[in-house]
Order: sequence, then C-alpha cells, then structure tokens
Amino acid sequence: MNAALDNILSHYRRFAASADYAGLPDSQQTAAAALHRLPLPTRRDESWRYTPLPAVLEHPFQPIALEDDLLTPDDVEQLRLTPADSPRVVMLNGFFIPELSTIPDDGSVEILPLNAALRDLSSDAFTRIGQLSGTRQHLFTALNTASLGEGVYVRVSAGTVLAKPLEVLHVSISFESEFIAQPRLLVVLEAGAQATLVEQYAHLSDTLCLNNGVVEVFLEAGAQLSHPRLQHESLRTRHLSSLYLRQAAESHYQGTTLAFGGAWSRTEFHVDFSGTGAHCDLNGFYLAGDKQSHGMHVDVIHNLPNCTSRERFKGILYGNSTAVFDGNILVQADAQKTDARLSNDNLLLSRDAEINTKPRLEIYADDVQCSHGTTVGQLDPEMLFYLRARGIPHEQAVTMICMGFAGAIIATCEFETLEQCANALLVKRLSKLVGLSHQNID
Amino acid sequence: MLHINNLHVSINGKAILNGLNLDIKPGEVHALMGPNGSGKSTLSKVLAGREEYIVTAGSITYQGQDLLALAPEERAHQGIFMAFQYPVEIPGVNNTYFLHQSLNAIRKARGEPELNSLAFMRLVRDKLKALDMDESLLKRYVNTGFSGGEMKRNEILQMTLLEPRFAILDETDSGLDIDALKIVAKGVNTLRNPERAMLVITHYQRLLDYIQPDVVHVLSGGKIVMSGDKSLALELEAKGYGWIHPEWEEAA
Repeated sequence: MNAALDNILSHYRRFAASADYAGLPDSQQTAAAALHRLPLPTRRDESWRYTPLPAVLEHPFQPIALEDDLLTPDDVEQLRLTPADSPRVVMLNGFFIPELSTIPDDGSVEILPLNAALRDLSSDAFTRIGQLSGTRQHLFTALNTASLGEGVYVRVSAGTVLAKPLEVLHVSISFESEFIAQPRLLVVLEAGAQATLVEQYAHLSDTLCLNNGVVEVFLEAGAQLSHPRLQHESLRTRHLSSLYLRQAAESHYQGTTLAFGGAWSRTEFHVDFSGTGAHCDLNGFYLAGDKQSHGMHVDVIHNLPNCTSRERFKGILYGNSTAVFDGNILVQADAQKTDARLSNDNLLLSRDAEINTKPRLEIYADDVQCSHGTTVGQLDPEMLFYLRARGIPHEQAVTMICMGFAGAIIATCEFETLEQCANALLVKRLSKLVGLSHQNID
Repeated sequence: MLHINNLHVSINGKAILNGLNLDIKPGEVHALMGPNGSGKSTLSKVLAGREEYIVTAGSITYQGQDLLALAPEERAHQGIFMAFQYPVEIPGVNNTYFLHQSLNAIRKARGEPELNSLAFMRLVRDKLKALDMDESLLKRYVNTGFSGGEMKRNEILQMTLLEPRFAILDETDSGLDIDALKIVAKGVNTLRNPERAMLVITHYQRLLDYIQPDVVHVLSGGKIVMSGDKSLALELEAKGYGWIHPEWEEAA
C-alpha cells in the first residue's frame, strides 16, 4: 500500500482510538476494534471492483463539530417534502438538531437522540444498534458505528399506524471543507406497525465532504414500511449510505432510492429475513452526469422460506459519468419457495458514459422462482423521430423519453412531493444536457 | 403544395428512389401504389424527415420552401403529418400527455395560443367521439402494448387532432379489419378540404373504396411509372402489377 493511503487509514483509525468506549454497546466496541483491523477498500474487493476509489480515499476527511445557527427554520421550510406538521427529524452534518425537528408527543412514534437511547443498557436501542450493520466487514460502516452518538433512534410501537409520513432531512452545510458527516438512523417498526419514512439528503453549501450514513431498519412481524429516499447532494460531495434491513414474518418493505447528487455516491442495500412470508421491494434510480459516479450495491439474502423480493434499478448516464450496479441475491438452502426478481436497465446518452452492471443470483434451494436481467441501451432513434415528427422539439423529445424511462421507478415511491421534486431535478439536468449537446453539434 | 423533382434517395449506400417526380396541389388526394420494395415507405420517411435516408439528388419543395432543409419537428410545425406504418412504442410516456405536448408544439409554431389541460381534454374527447374511438386509449403509454389496430387508430386520432395541411398515410390500412379501415377512412374524409392535400400509400384497392383519390400513381424501381385516375387502382387490383410491366409477372 502506498504511503498516502496508509496515512488515510491511520487517519481513520485515530478516530476510534480517541474515543472512550466504556459502557457503550458491544457492537460499537466491536466496530472500533474492526477499524483497527479492516483495510481500506481496494479494487481487488469484489464489491468495490468498479468503484472509483480516489474520490473517497484521497482526502483525509475530518470530523466536524456541531456548528450553531447554520441551519434555520426557513431552510427546513424550504427543503421539507412532508406537510409542515409532519413528524420531522432534522440532521445537520450528521448531528440531530431537536430545535428544528418536529417530535410528536402523542406517543405515536418515539424519536430519541441515539446517545440518550443508548444510555440505558437494557434499552431496545442498546440491544439493536449495530446488530445488522456489524455483520458486514465494511470499513466505512465500522467508522460510522464507532463514532455514533449523534444519530437518531425511531420506534413505532406495535400496531400503531402513523397517520403522517415521518421525514428525516439530512442537510450538509458548512464553511469547513473536507469534513466527514456520519448520520446514523436506527428505525424499529414493532409488530403490525405501519409508517412512511421519507428520507432526504440535501445540501445548502457546496463543500467537499464525505457523508457516511448508515440506516438500520428492523421490521417486526407484519410491520409495513414505505421508505422513499431522495439524494440530491452537492456535486462536490462524496455520499456513501448503507441501508441494513431485517424483516420479520409477513412484514412488508417498499423502498425507493433516487440518487441525483454527489460527485461520488454509493448506496448499499443489505437485506435479510428473520421470519417467513415477508416481502421486500427495492427500487432505485440514478442519474449520473459529467464527472459523476454512482454505485448501487444490492445484497439480499433469502435465508428463510416463502419470502419474496423485487429489486428494480434504472439509471440514466451522460457525459463522462460512470455507474455501477452490483446486485446479488443469495437464496440459502432453507429458503424454499423464494420468489426474487432482480433487474437493472440503463440508458446511456453519451459515448463516454460507462456502466458496469453485474446482477447475480446465487441459489442453494431447489424450489424457488428467481430471475435477473440487465439492459444497456442508447436513446432509441425511432422513438426520437416519432416524437419529433409530431412537432415535439428535439430537446423536449429526449427529456420525454428519459422521463418515461425513469418514471416507472420514480412512481414507486408513491409520495407526490418527492416525485415532483425528483421529476423537476431530472428535467433541469436533462434540459441543460440537451442544450449543451446542441451547441457541440453546431 | 408539394413538388418533388428528380428525387434520388439511398440508405446505407443502397439506392431506393431513382428520379421520382410528383406534384400534389392543395385539395388533392393522391394514392401511391406499387409492389413491395418499390420505395413507397422510403418516400414517406424522406418527406417526414427521417435522417438515415440520404437524398443524393433532386429536390422537394413544400409550400414554396426547401423541405429537405427542415428538421422533422419543423416539418410538423409547417403542417406535414405522416401516419406511421409501424408506430413506435414509447414506454412510460402517457398518451394524453404526448398528444397534448404535440398539439401545443404545433399550435405554438402556428402562432396560436396553447391549450390548457381542460380545453385539450374537451377537444380530444370530441375527436374520439367523431371517430367512434374508445377513451381508454388516452390513459395508456404511447402505443405501448397496443394492438396493430389500436396503433393505427391512435395515428388517425393524432392526424385529426393536429389538422395537418399535408398528410401522408403510410400503409395505414395494412393489417386492419374492416371496422378499423372505416375509422381510418372517416378520419381522412373529415379532414378533406380544398386547402389540404394527402398522399395515401397502400398495397390494396380496398382502402380506396372508402377514400376516393384524385390521382393514382404506381411506383416501381424507385420512380413513378404510371399515373391515372381512380380507375387505375381498380385495374391494378384486377390485373396485378404484372399488367404494367410484363417482366414482373415472370419474376413473381
């Protein structure tokens, strides 16, 4: 390993060394220990093979202190995707900001700062934290787990149906540069609970930072979670977010992740089951433009019988962007009657864009229905001509086709304001792109 | 209105049209017939502006201007409409949205005010009713999963909505049952007026029972080899293309 990378690794190891882990959950102590053991990811690791690493490994991202008064109620008002009186958790550079959050006191949902929730050694939060994220050997997840405390614990009690969507708004804003934000969410839906969790990653300053987020979600028996997520961070940001999901019997998860921002972004999905008859629906869309790279890494383990999962991902790439889709469904020997469908479709609008797509099935049970497929295509000239022959100008025709392509995924979030926001982002980016390509031709 | 002079067209280096001449005046309906591979569809695509077809010689003048200098959308704005032989499926794009955008783009180009959703829906419902067509067509994605007949009906709906000055029907009748054929003919006949012209490309005389052409042309080997009135179509139906050119019969 070269000296520069060595320095980065020891830089992150110092994070853990400087903290005192006495009285903290085992998983956190384990993560701190893992930090000293785990190497930096390299292209030799299968799951990092196509990920451009320099973007995250060339900068010694520094921990940041909570800066007061950076974020105002007006900012929250501008950014929110849920009604004003919806329960809302506001996170600033990974720090929970209770003053700007809307925490209901009607008992429908418990929202606590993680450090408070973890103080009680017998608490639900203490037992669960890191239970899922600790199972994977992942340096950045370990880094997040080792330094948690500023995150949030959300619990919806058994049988409760949340009437209003719960929003978690992650905002990056700072005068500092090269800092690391480490938002952490622990979400528990107890048996039969139903909720919508809208997550948004936004920025208010154009700073070079690494957003290293981890979300752990436990769905107890029969719980239902709808989880639309929109990532539209600054085009200088490095965004890494890992979702760890465990589903109990008959639970239902419906997730949609829409990735637009970040110079470099990587979203990981790790799913397994603790009961039978559960259904997991993972949808994702990425728009990668010039100098951007996006990665979607899906890792679903069917470890119990009679569970179903759908993994649908689509991407639009242009300029010299790169994207990675790395999806794996593992069906273990006991997981009979599994029904899993994995697909990834890509639309490449330029010659220089690059997609590395790798959908995989690994099946050890004999009575299952599984499929996987991938497509990579260009804008269909027949479609373009058809629209233009009807008077629709070239730029608008390109946008219409792309919106149609992305629309099938965006619509799965079933959350109107987020859909509108995503569509607006898409139109804005595509119209710029088509304008540019016209200039080039002239 | 349309003046085609000595048109030579090739695609992928292969010559398809070899010196085609055609004059269409306002108010006229011309039928273009001819055996497979004679260049009928190539002509319609060149008129609509498909860029893959290369014009190697000749000219097309439309309403006094050089048609070949115009982009496909500009031709549509100038009132040219081609009903596609094979309409294209556009997944994810709602048919109503598409029709609305198309009409507004053309109205804008004509200097007319754009229609809001309400006014557009009223108009499109009227057009559907006039054609005895079902509204369910509007809610689906453009041509996606449409049967052959539904696709052709959707083309005719677009034509009646956009009210072109010059319409080209590229084998719109092929594969249609008699009811769908009547809808196509109705669409064409309601649009007929002294300012509009049409070019109806067809294999069969059948469509011409419902749409009476002023002139019938026979295209062969990339040029028009015979023109006449509507009785020519009947004669072709009865005698086959071999009647025009004895070698064809031998080849067939």
